[in-house]
Amino acid sequence: MGGDWQQLLQSVVLGLIFSYLLAKLIAIVVSFKDDNLIITRASTAAAPAEPKPDDPARSAESGALVHEADSVVAEHGSVRNDSAGSEAGSDDDWEGVESTELDEIFSAATAFVAAAAADRTKVSTEAQLQLYGLYKIATEGPCSVPQPSALKMTARAKWQAWQKLGAMPPEDAMEKYIDIVSELYPTWTDGLIVKSKGGDGSSVGNDSKGPMGPVFSTFVYEEGSGNDFKMDAIHAFAREGEVDNLLKCIDSGVSVDAKDSEGRTPLHWAVDRGHLNMAEMLVSRNADVNAKDNEGQTALHYAAVCEREGIAEYLVKKNADTNVKDNDGNSPSDLCESKWPWLQHAKE
Amino acid sequence: MGDNNSPPGSSKEADHDSDANALVKDDSSLETIVRKFQDSMSVGKRHAFWETQPVGQFKDLGDVSLPEGPIEPPTPLSEVKQEPYNLPSQYEWTTCDLDSEETCTEVYNLLKNNYVEDDENMFRFNYSKEFLRWALHPPGYYRSWHIGVRAKTNKKLVAFITGVPARIRVRDVIVKMAEINFLCVHKKLRSKRLAPVMIKEVTRRVHLENIWQAAYTAGVVLPTPITTCQYWHRSLNPKKLIDVGFSRLGARMTMSRTIKLYKLPDSPATPGFRKMELHDVPAVTRLLRNYLSQFIVAPDFDENDVEHWLLPEENVVDSYLVESPETHEITDFCSFYTLPSSILGNQNYSILKAAYSYYNVSTKTPLLQLMNDALIVAKQKDFDVFNALDVMQNESFLKELKFGPGDGQLHYYLYNYRMRNALKPAELGLVLL
Repeated sequence: MGGDWQQLLQSVVLGLIFSYLLAKLIAIVVSFKDDNLIITRASTAAAPAEPKPDDPARSAESGALVHEADSVVAEHGSVRNDSAGSEAGSDDDWEGVESTELDEIFSAATAFVAAAAADRTKVSTEAQLQLYGLYKIATEGPCSVPQPSALKMTARAKWQAWQKLGAMPPEDAMEKYIDIVSELYPTWTDGLIVKSKGGDGSSVGNDSKGPMGPVFSTFVYEEGSGNDFKMDAIHAFAREGEVDNLLKCIDSGVSVDAKDSEGRTPLHWAVDRGHLNMAEMLVSRNADVNAKDNEGQTALHYAAVCEREGIAEYLVKKNADTNVKDNDGNSPSDLCESKWPWLQHAKE
Repeated sequence: MGDNNSPPGSSKEADHDSDANALVKDDSSLETIVRKFQDSMSVGKRHAFWETQPVGQFKDLGDVSLPEGPIEPPTPLSEVKQEPYNLPSQYEWTTCDLDSEETCTEVYNLLKNNYVEDDENMFRFNYSKEFLRWALHPPGYYRSWHIGVRAKTNKKLVAFITGVPARIRVRDVIVKMAEINFLCVHKKLRSKRLAPVMIKEVTRRVHLENIWQAAYTAGVVLPTPITTCQYWHRSLNPKKLIDVGFSRLGARMTMSRTIKLYKLPDSPATPGFRKMELHDVPAVTRLLRNYLSQFIVAPDFDENDVEHWLLPEENVVDSYLVESPETHEITDFCSFYTLPSSILGNQNYSILKAAYSYYNVSTKTPLLQLMNDALIVAKQKDFDVFNALDVMQNESFLKELKFGPGDGQLHYYLYNYRMRNALKPAELGLVLL
């Protein structure tokens, strides 16, 4: 802890001296050509940032910005960058000052503004100053530094923008800042969502896995083996319930009762996956309702095993044989967990 | 809590590297473990919180010169911080009394709506109220370890964390520990970083009871797992599991064949297989203590613990044993707990009923047969799936009983207790809920 403060103090003092010298130099050399506010990089270092943990990618991004810090807004980026070094996870960071959702949106907004500044998007000086003032309130609180000399017009304008906000609460300042950014760049959040999705896990909205506790596991998907297994397009269409494609197959001359290497017809597959409409279509195209697969099972066996009651009932209506035995000697009702009366009756 | 990773003797930092290198050459499994850790930590990702805690640190991995045991000595109780840690100003601490129906419902709802989900956010754990009471009220529990956070304005419960006391044996040392669980922060407050302060607060309250170690699990890699286990799943109701997206049907596989594959007999096969009863507690305790003694890390259960944790309770925990029809001796034991999950966004089903393998002991009946009987009773009780970790001897039956690997890895951790080497899952005899 002690080290951090010393470091911070040191950088503030150095920054002040440096900025003073540089500002003086610039005040003499530079005259204001137009409305473009030119801020020296040095003033950045003078701003004692209240550091907030930041992801490395973003810091790097803002680091790059430092080199072309030629607008008020770009300064935000570099302030953030300065803070990255002193971030070291001391215990006290965690207490009471946890970042809020607002914090996160705000910091995203500042990062966006910094990036936009790099793109030299046109933003009025007035808006820039407003953002600057709000940024300072949000990160440092009310203005308590002395007014810069009248010679340093930029610094003075900035100071005024900050000072006039008085004791505005930081949260209000963040919200206002976000409002202005949203007004200037209505689409700025679009990129944010993408960013947080691919983020480092500490960003908004991740967290299916908590930091601690049990895990919800589901099956790893494994494609079953069976390399000698072969099926045709018509079976796949039946399996997926793609009626139109299957019709095309039939119309192009494929047999409606074509068998795969296990002896299954499209009707078997349609029933297995529970596609009643597909089954109806196949039957209407004269599919054999009593076709058996290599294990001697009919589509009705499949419907019974998979407990597809609606389909089973339909097949029985279409004269599916309820007494047919598979190679193990089981009738459809033998394989059915539920007891469907119409299947039972038929058995007797 | 400051610098806790440099006990006397760690001054020869330079030597460690060469030692470690030598080890890596000899031990390719260590190398893969190290690589696994590095892979799972994205570049530059540091564990700002855990690096400040007395836990095994990644940099010490494989360093055999560090002693096994507590990382920090206990501090005098008078030096333990007496006041709770500061929360953000809008929130306040609360102690949750699960015996109060109202509080229990609040906790239940918080977890039901905000606790752990699968990677695809299709399921969320839905621990029942009876389960929560059971899990949080073992012998000697401390109410002060059931910690909630409320919003000051509306008193809504927004976060929760718990500890329960346990005696856990690490090799031949029995250590009093807290088992930390049910850390849950309301979804709307995830960015407030409440978790670290909650972990610190539960740690403080554990310290106040003069307990200095803890055990916990996580789905993420933190510094540093004592072992990493894999979940396995055995379909009991494959059609439902496929319909709700818990498992998938391969393009070449039929539902019909899948259902046949997982079909189980109607009743258990082992003669003398029956439900555990109160009078079985002494025999089960003997059986279990003897069995667990072979694992490096395992709970040290006495009869009170067995009565609490293993005596069957409807919709919470089921235990069966084999009583020899001739000698009436209790020879084998198996158990599983009931942990349903909400199915998010499915029209046909809202609850997935899962059984989780707990403690199983076989001395006469082959473990394979015992667990098959456990599957059969679980199926009878209408569970959709039976889950198991590859801890203890579970690996010996998983594949044969048609368990399939899950996508979930569970990392086990000890707080303020260093293990010199990571364990194999089969060396772990501990199941946390």
